[in-house]
Amino acid sequence: MADIIQIDDVSYAYHDNIPALSRVSMGISEGEIFAVIGSNGCGKSTLLHIMNGLIYPPSGRVYFQGKEVSEDSLRDRTFLKYFRSSVGYVFQDSDVHLFCPTVFDELMFGPLQLGLSRDEASGRVREIMAMLEISHLQERPSYMLSGGEKKRVAIGSILTMNPRVLLLDEPMNGLDPRTKSFLIELMILLNDAGKTLVIATHDLSLISELRCRVAVLSEDHRVEKIGTADEILQDEDLLLRVNLIHEHVHYHGNHAHIHIHSHYLFHRHDRKPDDVDS
Amino acid sequence: MRNKIPGFLLCTPAQAHDAGERGTLRPSYIEKGIGHLSEMITTGYLNVGQESEKGFFQKLDPRVKVIFLIFFVVIVSLKTDIFPEAVIALFVFLLVASSRINLAQFYKKIAGLTFVFGFLVVFPSAFNIVTPGELILPVIHLSHPYEFLIYHIPEEIGLTRQGVDGVMMLCLRMMNSLTISFLVIYTTPFHRIIKALQVFRVPQAFLLVITLSYKYIFIFAKTVEGMYFARKSRLVGMVRDDEARIWVAGRIAHMFRKSMSRYEEVFRAMVARGFAEEVRLSDIGELTTTDRLSGCFFLLVGIFLLWM
Repeated sequence: MADIIQIDDVSYAYHDNIPALSRVSMGISEGEIFAVIGSNGCGKSTLLHIMNGLIYPPSGRVYFQGKEVSEDSLRDRTFLKYFRSSVGYVFQDSDVHLFCPTVFDELMFGPLQLGLSRDEASGRVREIMAMLEISHLQERPSYMLSGGEKKRVAIGSILTMNPRVLLLDEPMNGLDPRTKSFLIELMILLNDAGKTLVIATHDLSLISELRCRVAVLSEDHRVEKIGTADEILQDEDLLLRVNLIHEHVHYHGNHAHIHIHSHYLFHRHDRKPDDVDS
Repeated sequence: MRNKIPGFLLCTPAQAHDAGERGTLRPSYIEKGIGHLSEMITTGYLNVGQESEKGFFQKLDPRVKVIFLIFFVVIVSLKTDIFPEAVIALFVFLLVASSRINLAQFYKKIAGLTFVFGFLVVFPSAFNIVTPGELILPVIHLSHPYEFLIYHIPEEIGLTRQGVDGVMMLCLRMMNSLTISFLVIYTTPFHRIIKALQVFRVPQAFLLVITLSYKYIFIFAKTVEGMYFARKSRLVGMVRDDEARIWVAGRIAHMFRKSMSRYEEVFRAMVARGFAEEVRLSDIGELTTTDRLSGCFFLLVGIFLLWM
């Protein structure tokens, strides 16, 4: 299937001297779930900002359905409207994502921007609120919501625009287990409905659950590897190198073990020679 | 949840050519202003990154730089002739160049501030209405002189040599003071300036307040930037200025509320780490030979400039 988003040799630095991305290239097919993983500060959020046309790379190019996404192309009203309605971005920090007085206004903002009538927009909003189980919050201001509720509202505010692509920046951060499993089910459901999902995360369990294609960013802001979830999760050397798992010492009774450790997937005790008596 | 998926999410959105709107978009000045605010704060005034360059001034101890700043600003204020001010400008230019600062950006900022807060303010004093003297550029010719309040308005209104000299002098003083201040700020990490101020017995509680305020400006800038991006990512067309103003007003209220809760959290974090009204900041290191030699060099240049 053709790439819906294409990134070609993109580099980006903040304030011209703090590198965030270095010669990054990748293609995302329509209808797939694609994850960008890497340790903190490797450039995942910056890459999503670039994919969403919020910042523009000084070198390299970004394409959406074959058309370049640039400062110039986004001045064209036709393309801007099409691009913004097609690509939705759920920010990592829900506090910056939610900027309307109430939850209802928040969900109405996108469809009204698209030029939908108030009736049609409010119909969409009610359906999305029902799906996300937030109908009872509609008159609440965003600052009176819990972390999980804010995340649901943030996702809802994008879904009411019915985008083709959803960019999700660390969607699981700071959420309780029930909200996490709700979101995973939602992501699978949206993908089944034909949506393309691009997820920036360092949560390996999420990759494991979604069984998606994965790009690994290294700590020097390059693409280290692109592959299936299985290929990536089985490559322990790679995950160690990019700081997504680490060697870990812990105790079982009076025995200390050293083994590869991730808080999500790896907790094996197959390094017998390293076992030491305490 | 599976049976609740709305029907519209299963429909394919419109293609680009169906999108309806035509023409080129020109963002409103408010929208551009929000976007540039964060960039201006971080790169323009907080100078992220500049202090890490390996130039002459970056290597000096902050105490030497703070003493240099105070000493030279006093010299700039004491000089009453244009020539010594020009010599100071040349000397500071050499220091800026040796510190590997981007000269064009640096002097563009200085020139802008000098023009707005210096030249425009004092320019009227160049006319013979304010500063009597030798007329060098007549501008308006009246039929006869007038008396207005305490002012004598002569028949021939124009620029005087004394007035122009005064304007040049004030602008040069302002430019030199700004250049010296910006040179120190550009080449010194903020926390090192704060530590250097301890040498002058500035109360540590005051320094802590400045440090926290500085940190807050960073957080403020990042929050403003995040809110701007969040809005930008959901905007599909032009926003009217009145809509933008309403949004900005709402965001200011939101920022105020957020600031209140943030500083309460920061205070609790300080209390949790043992803060009990008395503030103790870590000490600064010893001066090196380069610092001492540079300090002597600045002292000698300063004495020479005072003698001029």
